[in-house]
Amino acid sequence: MIHVLSYVSIGIGLVFMFWGTFHLLDRRSVLYKLHSLSIADTLGAILIIVGVLLQVPSAWPWLILAIISLALWNTMLGYVLAYCSSRGESYDR
Amino acid sequence: MNLTLVVFALLGAMLIPLYEAWRNEDIWQTMLALTSVATKTALIILVVATVRNDLMVAVAGVIILSVGNAGLMLLAHILKRMNYSNQ
Repeated sequence: MIHVLSYVSIGIGLVFMFWGTFHLLDRRSVLYKLHSLSIADTLGAILIIVGVLLQVPSAWPWLILAIISLALWNTMLGYVLAYCSSRGESYDR
Repeated sequence: MNLTLVVFALLGAMLIPLYEAWRNEDIWQTMLALTSVATKTALIILVVATVRNDLMVAVAGVIILSVGNAGLMLLAHILKRMNYSNQ
């Protein structure tokens, strides 16, 4: 039962990852790609780590730490990249 | 073990942003592709570490996840300054 659950989680994570990454190949703006990529990459990575965690429960401290740093840093990196790549008037010098 | 197949699928997923980073000339598109490469590499390291049951490798993956992303943020700020100080 746990194995089935973990493989379902890993499978959904892989689907998310491929789906978000294929948007990189479109000819769209940076912000559009950043939106799809940050959502799909973070969700996919967290789902894959949860799946691995269900299979190997002994490695939980590192996997929980990885989930926390993914959720924190990837969202923050999305904001910073969007801010830096846009030509706003109020950028600091 | 089936987790090996997951590693190969992740390697396949990593080839897409690598191709994009090689193809695209625009620096922000390249940056975006490289952030995707960084996340996927750290994830591959974590999965490999759990397959091998090697906690030290898992620590390296977690460090890459946090410090690598922080480094990418600093790099984005440097690129912004370089882009807009010439204009």
